[in-house]
Amino acid sequence: MNFNTESPATREELLQCLRRHQSADFRLAAGGTDLLIELKKSGPEDLTLINLGRLEDEEFTGITIHPAEIRIGALVTAARIHKDPYIHEHFPVLHQAARSLASAQIREVATIGGNVCQASPSGDLSCALAALNATCEIIDMDGKIRHETLSGFFRGPGKTSLLKSEVLKGISIPVNQDETLMSGFIKIGKRLAMECSIVSIGYHFQMNATGTVIQAGIAIGAVAPTVVFCTRAAAFVTGKKVNDLTEEEQLQVAGLIRQAASPIDDLRASAWYRSEVLFNSARSIFEKA
Amino acid sequence: MDKKQVPISFTINGKKMTRQVNPSLLLIHLIRDELKLKGTKPGCMEGECGACTVIVDGRAVNSCLYLAVNIDGKQVNTIEGLSTVERPLHPVQHKILEHGAVQCGFCTPGFVLSIKAIGDECVEQGIVPSRKEIAKELEGHLCRCTGYVKILDAAEDYLAHPILQNSSDHG
Amino acid sequence: MRLRIIWLIQSFKTALIMDKKLKLIGKSTPKLDGSERVSGRAVYGHDIELPNMLHGMILRSRYPSARIKSIDCSEALELDGVECIITANDVDVNRISYKRDHPVLKGETVNCQRDELAAVAATSRETARKALRLIKVDYEVMEGIFDPFEALKEDARQINLYGKGAESFGNKNIAESFTYSHGNLEEQKKNSRVIVSRRYRLPRVTHCCLATSNITADYSVLDGRLTLYASTQVPFLYQRDMAHALKMDPSRIRIIQPTIGGGFGSKLDMYPFEPICALLSMKTGKPVQLLYDREEEFIASPTRQTMVIDLTTGADAEGKFTFREVRIIMDNGAYTSWGATTPFVMMQTYSSLYQVPACHFRADAIYTNNPFAGSFRGYGNPQATFSVERNIDLMAEELGIGKDEIRLINANYPGEITGQGLHFKTCGAKPALMKVLETSDYERKNREKQNGRYRRGVGLASMLHVGGGAKIYRSDGCGTRLKLDHYGYLTIVTGSSEIGQGSETVLAMIASEELGIPLQQIRVINTDTDIKPWDVGVHASRTSFVAGNSLLGAIRLLKDKLNLKAARLMECETGDFLYEAGSIRADQKEIKIDKVVREMHFGSPNELCVAEYFYEPPSSFQDKQYMGDVSGNYAFASQVAEVEVDTYTGKVKVLNVYVSQDVGRVLNPVGLQGQIEGGLAIGIGYALTEEMIYEKGVLQNPSFHEYKLLTPVDMPDIHFYPIETLDEAGPYGSKGAGEAPLIPSAAAIANAVSDALGVEFQSLPLTPENVLRAWSEKRQHEPANSRKV
Repeated sequence: MNFNTESPATREELLQCLRRHQSADFRLAAGGTDLLIELKKSGPEDLTLINLGRLEDEEFTGITIHPAEIRIGALVTAARIHKDPYIHEHFPVLHQAARSLASAQIREVATIGGNVCQASPSGDLSCALAALNATCEIIDMDGKIRHETLSGFFRGPGKTSLLKSEVLKGISIPVNQDETLMSGFIKIGKRLAMECSIVSIGYHFQMNATGTVIQAGIAIGAVAPTVVFCTRAAAFVTGKKVNDLTEEEQLQVAGLIRQAASPIDDLRASAWYRSEVLFNSARSIFEKA
Repeated sequence: MDKKQVPISFTINGKKMTRQVNPSLLLIHLIRDELKLKGTKPGCMEGECGACTVIVDGRAVNSCLYLAVNIDGKQVNTIEGLSTVERPLHPVQHKILEHGAVQCGFCTPGFVLSIKAIGDECVEQGIVPSRKEIAKELEGHLCRCTGYVKILDAAEDYLAHPILQNSSDHG
Repeated sequence: MRLRIIWLIQSFKTALIMDKKLKLIGKSTPKLDGSERVSGRAVYGHDIELPNMLHGMILRSRYPSARIKSIDCSEALELDGVECIITANDVDVNRISYKRDHPVLKGETVNCQRDELAAVAATSRETARKALRLIKVDYEVMEGIFDPFEALKEDARQINLYGKGAESFGNKNIAESFTYSHGNLEEQKKNSRVIVSRRYRLPRVTHCCLATSNITADYSVLDGRLTLYASTQVPFLYQRDMAHALKMDPSRIRIIQPTIGGGFGSKLDMYPFEPICALLSMKTGKPVQLLYDREEEFIASPTRQTMVIDLTTGADAEGKFTFREVRIIMDNGAYTSWGATTPFVMMQTYSSLYQVPACHFRADAIYTNNPFAGSFRGYGNPQATFSVERNIDLMAEELGIGKDEIRLINANYPGEITGQGLHFKTCGAKPALMKVLETSDYERKNREKQNGRYRRGVGLASMLHVGGGAKIYRSDGCGTRLKLDHYGYLTIVTGSSEIGQGSETVLAMIASEELGIPLQQIRVINTDTDIKPWDVGVHASRTSFVAGNSLLGAIRLLKDKLNLKAARLMECETGDFLYEAGSIRADQKEIKIDKVVREMHFGSPNELCVAEYFYEPPSSFQDKQYMGDVSGNYAFASQVAEVEVDTYTGKVKVLNVYVSQDVGRVLNPVGLQGQIEGGLAIGIGYALTEEMIYEKGVLQNPSFHEYKLLTPVDMPDIHFYPIETLDEAGPYGSKGAGEAPLIPSAAAIANAVSDALGVEFQSLPLTPENVLRAWSEKRQHEPANSRKV
C-alpha cells in the first residue's frame, strides 16, 4: 500500500480537493474498513485517497431530526447509529442492522456513507435503509445538491449513480406516520457474529390504531446484484392487518419476497439455500406475531 | 515512489507526540514498527481477529484498518499504556489472570483493551452489561486456545463492579 | 459386580497415592507466565528485531501442478534493497519431511499450491514483496490430480517423484500405509445380529494459530553457528531435521523458542520456509526474518487430514460389539508430513475404544496435488471417533436398544488388555459415560421430540486417547536439571516446551509442592536447545506426564542431597523430612532450606545443590503388527451435546456440552478447564463451521472472513466433570488431557443433530446449508399430510 492522502477538514476543502483531482485516480475513504482491505490486496501505485476521516462538518457527521425526516450524515458510524436512542425507538430495523454489522471495533469506524457507497448486495445498513425508503443527499464539487432514492442509487454490485465529481453527504429517512411498528432486521450467516450476510431481510411496517398497515417497506440483501426493495410484497401487506395474516397470506408474502430475489451460487452459499432461507425467514416475520 | 510525509500530533499512552508519517501508513505499523510498541499484535491485518485492537478516544478499534493520519488530535492507548511502575497491571489484566483466561496470549492484549473500553463506556452510562451483551461486544476478537469461556468470565467479573475496582483510569 | 471390585482396588491404590496431603497440586493456580502475556511484554516471533535484520519472503507456485521450465530473477535482483534471491539451483540441501520426499525449494516440478520456487531477502517487507512480483517463472502447466481415488488408478502419473510407494506399497501414489488386525473377523460377523456399513467423509481444516508462522534466522559467518528463533513444538527433532536439510552438524544449530502464539500440532514438523530462512541468512550473513501473513498462513501451513472412511461394524443381539472393519483413504497431499502417521492413533480407536473382539484396519495416505496435511491436536482421532460413534448410534437404532445402554454395555474397564495390547491399568470410561448421562439428563432429552421450527436433540460420544505419551520415536523421554541457589530460589531447566498450554505452571507447582518453595521463587527455563536437555516435544498430550515425571525424578535426587546435609546440620537421623514454607522439618527440628544450600556451597565438602534426571516412560515400542502397550496410561472421555436446530435456516445451535474426562488426577483445575473449553471450541468448529474449500487444488477461502472460526457469541455452556482414577504411572496419578476434549465433540454434535431431525449425516461440517438440504430431502420423502411443520 502506497498512496497519497488528502485529508480535507472542511466542506470547502473537500470540494476543492474533488475539483483538483478530477483528472487523477482517487478514491474516497470514510471509515476505510472495507477500502483499506481492498487497497492492501490491489492498490494501484498512483492513487490519492481523499480521506474523510478528518472532516469536521456537522452535515456530514451529525444526526438531525426534522419534522418530516431524520437526516444521518454520511460519516456517522455504525456504532453511533446502533447507540442512537431515536433510531432505536423509531427505526428498529436500522438499529438492528447497525448492531449486526461486523464487530464492535469495526462499527466504531465504519460509516453509513461508506456502507451505502460500497453498494455491496449484502450491505446490512443499505438493506435496512432501503426498507425505510431512505433518500441519498449528494453534493457535487460545485456545491450543488441532488437527491436520489436509495433504490435508484444502487446500480449493481459495487456500482452507484455517484459521479466522480460527487460525494454522498447524508441519508434521509422519512419519519414514521404512525408509531405502531413491526420493524426488524433478519441476518443469516454461518455463525452468529462477524458475518457477511448470506441472506438478509429488513422490514418496517407502520400501522394505525386498528393494526392496519399504512406504510410498508421490505428489502432483501445478498440475494441479487443489489439490495432489492420488494415492491410487490410491500404493496400486498399495505392495507392489511399484519398480525392477522392467514397462513396462506403469510406464504403468499414470503413467495412475493422470494420472487424479488435472483440469487447465485457462491463460496458462502448456493442459490438454492439462499432462496429457501429467504422464503423461510420472510415467513417467520409474520409467524411470530 | 515515496509519498509526501504528513505531520500528525497525537497522545499515546498519555504522552504527547508529533511525527511525520507516510500517508498510507496504518496505525498498527506506526505503533509496532515506528514506536516499537510490540504488545499490539498483528493477527490477520483485515479486521477479523481483533488482536491489534487499540483504544482511540475511548473506543476500541482495529489498528490494522485505521490510517495513522487519522489519529491526529486524538488519544491512543495501547496495552503498554495500562502498565505503570506503580501499578504494573490494570484490574482487567488481574481478572484475566485470575480466571485463567490467557493461554498462548497472542489475542490477549486486544481482549484486554476492548474489555477496558467497554468498562469505561458502561461506567459513563451507569450500566452493568449481561454476559450475553459482553460476548456480543467482544465478537470481533478471535481466540483459538481458550474457547472464550474464561475470557467472558473475566470480563463479566471485571464489568460487574460498579466502579470497576475503583481504579479504572481513563488516561 | 466385577466393576465394583476393581473400583475397590483402585481406591486402595488411590489411598497409597493420596497418602500425602497435597498443598498446591489440585488447586487452581494462574499461569506463571501469564502476566508477561497479558501485559504485552511477552516476545513472540513477530516482535523480534535484530540489528541489520533483513526480511524474507517466498514466491509460491501459481499452479498446483506444473513443470518448471525456468525461473528468472534478474529483474528482481536489480531492485534497490534486495540482498539475495535463492532458487533450487542456488542451494545445496537435502529433501525434508519424515519420508524425505519434500524438496525445500522446487526446481523441477511443483505439486501443490504452496510449493516454494524462490525466496527473497530484502531490507523491508515492502521491497521483498515487490521483488517477488518481478520474478518470472515459466511453467508448463499439468492437469493436477486432486482426488485420491483418481491417484490410485493404474494410469495416474506419479505425483511425488521421490515417493517410494511402488516399492513399498505396490502403488506409486501411496505415501504411507498401515494395516492392523486382531480377532477372528469372519466368526464375529456370524455372531452379529446387526451389521452397519457407512462411508464417512471428513473435511480439511486448519489450526488457525493466532500468531502466523514465523522464524528469525541468524547465521554467524564468524563461527558458522546458526541461531534460529523458531516457534517449534519439538525443538530437538527440529534441530536434527534442520541439520539434515542444511547438511550441517546439528550441534552448530541453536534453537531458541520465542513465546509461541498457538501450536495445536501445527509446529510438530519443520516446513520448507524454515530452512529457506536459514539459507537466506547463510547467504547474506545477516539475520533474516520470515513472517507469514494470514492469507499465506491459510495457504501454506498444515491441515488436518481429509479422509474417506469406510466403516463396517457389528453387534450381537444383546448389543455387544462383535467387530470393526475399516478402510481409510487419506488425502496426503503432495508431500508427507508427520500427519501421514495419524493411522497409528486412529487404529487404537478402532481396535480399543469400547470392547472390540475383532478388528481389521487399513489406512493409506495417497499423494495428490492438494496441499499436504500435517498433524493437528487429536491426530486423526476426531475423524476415527466420528465414524465409530455414528455407527454405534445406527446399530443401537437398528437393534432397538438405547444409545446410552449400548455404550455402557461395551465400555472399557480397568484392567482390560485390549485386542491391540493396550493395557488399561486404570480406566474411567464407564464413570465418564455415567456422569455425562446423568448430568445432561440424556435419557429424558433423548426421548422427548419436538415439532415446529426449532428442534432439540442430544448426542453422545466417547473417546480413547493416549494419556502418558506415545512411543513413536526412539525415546519418548524428557530430561530435567535443577539448580537450587543459596537464597532458596529454584531454577528448573526442562527439555519440555510451553506453547500456551500451561505446562510451565504445572512444573513449578510440582516443584513447589515437593520442595516447599513458594511459586514466586521458581523459574522455569525451557526455550533454548543450547541449555535444556533432551525432550521429544509437545505432542500426544504428554508434557505434564513425561516432563512432570522427569521433574519428580530430579527432585528425588535433589532431596537426597538436601536430606543428608540437613540431617547433619540438625544433628538427627536422615529421613523423609517435611519440606514446607521454605524449611526442612524433622520431628522437633527445622532448618531453612537456603541455609542448607549455603552450607552445601560453602561448607565442607563444597558441593552444588543441583540434580539432573532423565525420565523414559514405561511404554513400549509396538511391534510390526502394531501390537503393544504404547502409552504410559490412557485417557477416556465422554461428551453429551445438546443442540437446537432451526429448520428454517438449518442453523445448529449447540446449547450445552457435558464433558466428563478421566484425567487421572486434576493438577491445576483452572488450567485443565481451559484445555477442555479450548479443545471443545476447536471440536465444535470442526463439527459446524470450519472447512477449507478447494477448487482444483487452490484454496478458495484463505481468510478469517471466509474460514469460520467460532466467535465469543457462538460458544455453548460447558459443563465439565473430571474423573480422577489416580493412575500410578502419572505425576500424582495424572494423565494427559490436552487433546481429548476435541476428539468426541463432532461425533456428539452430529449424533445430536441426527437425533433432533431424524436425518443421518455422514460428513462434516454441518453447515446450515448441509443441514437444511438433508432436512428438505427428508421432508420430500415424507407423506404430504405429515409435512406440515
